[in-house]
Amino acid sequence: MTEQDQTLRLERYRRLWRFRSFDDACLEALRRNVIHGELHVGIGQEAIAVGMAESLRRDDAVVSTHRNHFHALAKGVDRRALLAEICEKAEGLCRGRGGHMHPFDVENNFSATGIVGASLPVALGYAYAFHLRQSDAIAVGIAGDGSSHTGAFHETMVIAGAQKLPLLVLVENNSLAISIRFDQISPTRTVAERASAYGVRGMHVDGTDVDAMTDAFAEASRHIRAGGGPVILEATCARFRGHFEGDPEGYRSREERQHLRAQFDPLRLYRDRLEAFGLTSSELDAVEAAEKAAARDLLAEIMALPQPDPEGALLYRFSEEV
Amino acid sequence: MNASTLATEAVTDRSGWQLSALIAETIAWEMRRDPSVLCIGEDIGRAGGVFGATRGLLDEFGAGRIMDAPIAEMAFAGMGVGLAQAGMRPLVELMFVDFLGVCLEQIFNAAAKIPYMSGGRQKMPIVFKTAGGCIGSAAQHSQCLWGLFAHLPGLKVVAPSNPFDYRGLLTSAIRSDDPVIYIEHKGQLLKKLSDFRNNTPIPDRAYTVPFGRAVVLTKGRDVTLATLSSMVEHALEAALVLEQEGISVEVVDLRTVVPLDHDTVARSAARTGRLLVVDEDYLSFGLSAELCMRVIEQIGPGALRQVERLAVPDVPVPAALALERKVVPGVDMIIDRVRTMAKGA
Ligand SMILES: Cc1ncc(C[n+]2csc(CCOP(=O)(O)OP(=O)(O)O)c2C)c(N)n1
Repeated sequence: MTEQDQTLRLERYRRLWRFRSFDDACLEALRRNVIHGELHVGIGQEAIAVGMAESLRRDDAVVSTHRNHFHALAKGVDRRALLAEICEKAEGLCRGRGGHMHPFDVENNFSATGIVGASLPVALGYAYAFHLRQSDAIAVGIAGDGSSHTGAFHETMVIAGAQKLPLLVLVENNSLAISIRFDQISPTRTVAERASAYGVRGMHVDGTDVDAMTDAFAEASRHIRAGGGPVILEATCARFRGHFEGDPEGYRSREERQHLRAQFDPLRLYRDRLEAFGLTSSELDAVEAAEKAAARDLLAEIMALPQPDPEGALLYRFSEEV
Repeated sequence: MNASTLATEAVTDRSGWQLSALIAETIAWEMRRDPSVLCIGEDIGRAGGVFGATRGLLDEFGAGRIMDAPIAEMAFAGMGVGLAQAGMRPLVELMFVDFLGVCLEQIFNAAAKIPYMSGGRQKMPIVFKTAGGCIGSAAQHSQCLWGLFAHLPGLKVVAPSNPFDYRGLLTSAIRSDDPVIYIEHKGQLLKKLSDFRNNTPIPDRAYTVPFGRAVVLTKGRDVTLATLSSMVEHALEAALVLEQEGISVEVVDLRTVVPLDHDTVARSAARTGRLLVVDEDYLSFGLSAELCMRVIEQIGPGALRQVERLAVPDVPVPAALALERKVVPGVDMIIDRVRTMAKGA
């Protein structure tokens, strides 16, 4: 491995830990009753978002789902503002109005929705805007395997495919939509193979392998930026925790969960690879420790911030109120 | 059937049950009674529903009648319409009422209108069972929306407040030949039956609670407080506190939005002279205005000293708790409002 390679890889490892530590901080915030609503974390799925980060440009757009934290971080959304929003603070990205499922970062072209499937038509809108402006920016619409079954998915692909719009549909296939198993509900073995029905490119990648994921995302975005039309990129992965925090997970056994963690942890897998490449465990430990500490410090700082002023509860419904 | 006639019956002790288990049992009874009843929805089979409101049904009735659906609401809401037209009695579960947006077409253009468009020839025995209300998950997961469905002609809209009614109204909904939107409150589904203030014993047999019959839960002199769903529990708590202060509140549980029993409310308001409608749905163009107007039409504007409304003030429900408490009616807000009214004219 060249020195440059090594730096790049270490950076990927750092990002993996940064993302996981971010969601660990969210879990801690929930335990401390700083978050009072539903929380969906992405632990186990870090490599997919890390794989996006190197290719995404500021003028690209990402429209994400209920499980959006890592995508936001990959898009360059400010960590502090995002965590403050998730923690319902006045200084949050959306002034405490949106919360964890609904972060909006206008400057970074990042948005999300809590309605399954609803991210894709919005990404389509960005794609059409980029097309009209003859920009080579791309729009990324994120979907879970569950969202790939919605009408919105199909309708989006019809328009995007027909007009060859710069749309990348990134399907995070963690094989579960709450309790529903992909292989028991999907008419096709993969989501990617549906691409041919829309005349677009379908790709499949192991979403627990951060290097493969980075390459696949780079390849998909190159294809789109060059005018090749939409891509459906399906990344397989595992969701380690419940669908939401507090999910009793009656639909899978403890053994199954343990097996997933043991076999498909992208952080562990990458660590093994880097060690095989000759990075030392103390180097890697240092990265891990630094990221954990940074997230802890950030959370401590944010927890001390005030909630929004209740007197302003009705503000921001209309543009004249901003 | 009315609650007082049940007092003498022996009943299974369900006090430790969660409300969702009672709902699952109610569905099971109806499925046993009528083989044309079937359920479709996300996570209702293997997982038994995200709140457990269909737990055990897959084992008893099999995957044909308890169909786990993909996240494809437009398709399976429409399937409900087709199944009903084919002579079945589908119960379509839409996890949260907020998600009805993606399949509204089948609900308001098909289910709601076909009975009328067919000149009354096509029956539409379908229940859209869903969960509404605020449990702290911000704008897209905290709505009630019964006013929206009530606005669309052709839908019956039901929002129970207590275990006895959850069962009786669901039984009525499943047996009804009309499309019914049955809205549970998320905050109540995991609550133990014994934790409800309004905790009428549940008999060991199926019974129906008719639509369009509001019920007076506390007798009062000073203010008539009409509400529904989980706000009824808040209202009962508020009434207890206010009683200590010498303010006597008549709490009326509306039970259903369509049909709306304004008559019971009007009779009460004519006596107290003050009407407060508390609604967890949005304030404008909804239930609260409709009810106030009907009462005024019935007893005349001169019969009331005060008419007020307390509802979500036309704002999406915010994420932060401090903001949410400011906009979603709660016990304290109800107490404050009634106090002010009672001091007034
Ligand atoms: C239209 C709609 N239907 C149902 C839901 C409830 N819901 C939230 S997430 C989810 C499962 C999503 O599965 P998937 O798309 O695979 O994403 P994952 O949760 O696995 O990341 C469901 C059913 C919703 N939010 N919106």
